[in-house]
Amino acid sequence: MTQIFANKKSFWLLLILTVTFLCVLCTSLELLARTSWFEKVFPYRSVGNSDYQFEIKWFRLQDYVKQHGGVDIIILGSSLVNTGLNPDIVAQTYYQQTGVHPRIFNFGVEGMTISPNSVIAKLLVERYHPALLIYVTEMRDYIAGNGLEYETPFLRDPWLREQTGNFNLVGWLAGHSAALQHYLPFRNWVRSDFPDTLALYFKRYQQTSASGYEPDSAIGVNIDVPPNPDDPAEAQNFKDYGNYQVAAARLEDLKSILDFSKNQGTTVWVVEMPVHPTFYVYVGGEKVHQQFQQNISSLVAAKGGSFLPAEACLSVIPLNGRSNRWHLNYIGAPYFSNCLGSQLVGFVDQQQIKLTKLGASK
Amino acid sequence: MSITSLVFVIFCTASILVYWRLPQQHRILWLFIVSMAFILTWSWNLAGILLVVATVNFLLGRWLGLAKDRRRVLLWIGIGFNVMALVALKYSDFYVGALTRLLGKMGVHTGAGGLLLLVPIGLSFIAVQMISYLVDVHNRILKPEAHWLDFSLYVVYFPKMLSGPVERARIILPMLKQPKTLDAQAAERNFWLIVVGVIRKIVLADALSSIIPAAIFLHPETFAGQNLLLYLLAYAFGIYNDFAGYTSIVRGISGFFGIELTNNFKLPYFSRSISEFWERWHISLSNWLRDTIFFPISRALLKKFPRREAVVNLVVPPMVTMLVSGMWHGLGWNFLFWGGLHGFYLIIERVSTLWSPRKLLDELPKWRQVLSALGVFVLVVLAWIPFRMALPTGWLYLVRIFTPSGWIKPDLWLFRMYIIGKVYVNSWTEFNLPDIRIFIVFIPALLLDWKQYRHKEETFMTKWPVWVKALCLAVLVLVIFLLACAETGTPFIYQGF
Repeated sequence: MTQIFANKKSFWLLLILTVTFLCVLCTSLELLARTSWFEKVFPYRSVGNSDYQFEIKWFRLQDYVKQHGGVDIIILGSSLVNTGLNPDIVAQTYYQQTGVHPRIFNFGVEGMTISPNSVIAKLLVERYHPALLIYVTEMRDYIAGNGLEYETPFLRDPWLREQTGNFNLVGWLAGHSAALQHYLPFRNWVRSDFPDTLALYFKRYQQTSASGYEPDSAIGVNIDVPPNPDDPAEAQNFKDYGNYQVAAARLEDLKSILDFSKNQGTTVWVVEMPVHPTFYVYVGGEKVHQQFQQNISSLVAAKGGSFLPAEACLSVIPLNGRSNRWHLNYIGAPYFSNCLGSQLVGFVDQQQIKLTKLGASK
Repeated sequence: MSITSLVFVIFCTASILVYWRLPQQHRILWLFIVSMAFILTWSWNLAGILLVVATVNFLLGRWLGLAKDRRRVLLWIGIGFNVMALVALKYSDFYVGALTRLLGKMGVHTGAGGLLLLVPIGLSFIAVQMISYLVDVHNRILKPEAHWLDFSLYVVYFPKMLSGPVERARIILPMLKQPKTLDAQAAERNFWLIVVGVIRKIVLADALSSIIPAAIFLHPETFAGQNLLLYLLAYAFGIYNDFAGYTSIVRGISGFFGIELTNNFKLPYFSRSISEFWERWHISLSNWLRDTIFFPISRALLKKFPRREAVVNLVVPPMVTMLVSGMWHGLGWNFLFWGGLHGFYLIIERVSTLWSPRKLLDELPKWRQVLSALGVFVLVVLAWIPFRMALPTGWLYLVRIFTPSGWIKPDLWLFRMYIIGKVYVNSWTEFNLPDIRIFIVFIPALLLDWKQYRHKEETFMTKWPVWVKALCLAVLVLVIFLLACAETGTPFIYQGF
């Protein structure tokens, strides 16, 4: 035994020197990553989350707040929000009617149903204390199994777990080290699909505006023709959304958004996404949709919130303003944004939300 | 328990510390206990199978030692048992389906998964070791082991259990028994062997394996020829660094117990002939094949056909040996073809020596050595195609590389537009650019090999000043941390054989 450690001194010297070099290396990289030059050359950042669009939005919101001194309204939802609402137009409409220019950010992330969004809402409200949180919802949000493929890895993420109170070193490092945040967008460089995912990441990074809106250039065809259950291309949609039922757990998520935000002094406005009426064929028809609206509006009302049904803005969206039955495209988004901006005037007035105190007047 | 996991590091450290605290007479028992504990982390069934294999071979060895006649019959029973165990358990894919169907026809229904057998990890390695033990006892080179515990430890010894090296009983059994020492120099060498292994496995092999798209082995026709060539190189370096890395790690660990395991790799891609390649690649298995298959066949044939130049003497021993090597890797036409191809290479090499006397490779002019090494490298790399994929797919792969139409001209204009932000693409493949990421890993891989080649020493870094060693370790820790951030994870390739 003694022979193993015969050269004890050199072993400890090697260990101490290694740790010292490691500290020097990490500190140097951290200092470099925090310089404005580095930020300019490598603007991409990540916290190691599996959803890179969430990360684009997360850091863009940080930059937005840094630039504007805060955020008054956060619009939360799925990809429908991401491509369907331009916060700049909402703010512009609101400004034209009131003379107040609110600071609005679009935090719509692809694949995020109400379940992960209830976690995101908590993070955003705690961190930025917006005066208003607009949660844009739709029927698919409440299907029990919908979006699990995004939700499961998203919620398992060490950084997210750390943010929600479960300390872990990896999550803490991802949240605090600028050097690591600048490396993490490229962490999968050894994966075979990396060049493709990186190309897509760059594309979305560039196309997402400073206020979080990402236009969709596709124009859908035959959207006004009801889907046919016998069409093999539609089989999956009918399978996923047919026999529609609101899952109790998803309703709990909605309740938690309403309760938590209220406690934090943020008003919540639940807005229904004006999807194309032919979408309701999948879920069983307009009756099922009306039942859904009744459920949600009564739950929201019971929690002291407000619900804006899809019909409020449905008629203003032209047919070529949609990329499919759910998503709005770059033509449709301005119409919806404009409509929401007008609705916002009434809502803010009715709820007596004081945006002027928080928002910068233009 | 993966040998690159943190749990394994803790397990090994604790095992080593306790091992050196124990008196000599208890160390074998301790090694047996920790080896069984390691195996139990894989499965109970595996532990049971290995103990049965060890016990049967132990008894057969004892019987062979005592027997006066019919020793050859006993030897063949032993060989048959080990081969049958291998075929029955490892190659069950080939017959379980048919057997289930047959039983079904006879009215015996096994239910879902009812006949699925366990594939014991490392059984191929253990089977060849058992055969060589029985052969040695039969040839009276080795006395049969008298102690079951010592023999069982030889079978289940955890550093070599998963993927070898294929250790001879006559070398390892005495090593297990003799009192061990471990000086500071040996400890440092073992430590750096582990470091080199970790570099090869985690930094080089895992990175290369992850870069290669799985689809190239199924649909090579959908990839540009230039990328297929690059991915083939990546595979060649990936499989080498993976296995050499594993061997280096387990040799280092075993060295800490005072037990030296055989070096399996001596920079095989620097070989200047195919025979030299097989002296440098998976050395322990190559030696086993040479001693157990090649030499006996050669001797038997020379008795019948005394002329060395006789076609049968030139062709049969290398071809049979390499076909067995192919089958050892797996029962599939592609493995058989891979073995046959190497057999063919060896035959050509042997035939070429008939007309001109063979010179020692080191005596050849430098330029010829370099040229030969390049030629051997190309032949070996091409042979990895049938090794990795089904033969028809392999053919497509080869055609795609060697026909001009398989190479797609990179769209540099689109790439330039992309770089300056004028266009966006949904997929990188739209550029048809060669996958340059491979070079990021190639360069350190080649550098490591080159350093080992120049210094003629695997752990050349032991001679470096302590601050250089510390700097390298610090960089390595950082690189491993950064690589660990990637959402990948690849097991050892040779664990599958």
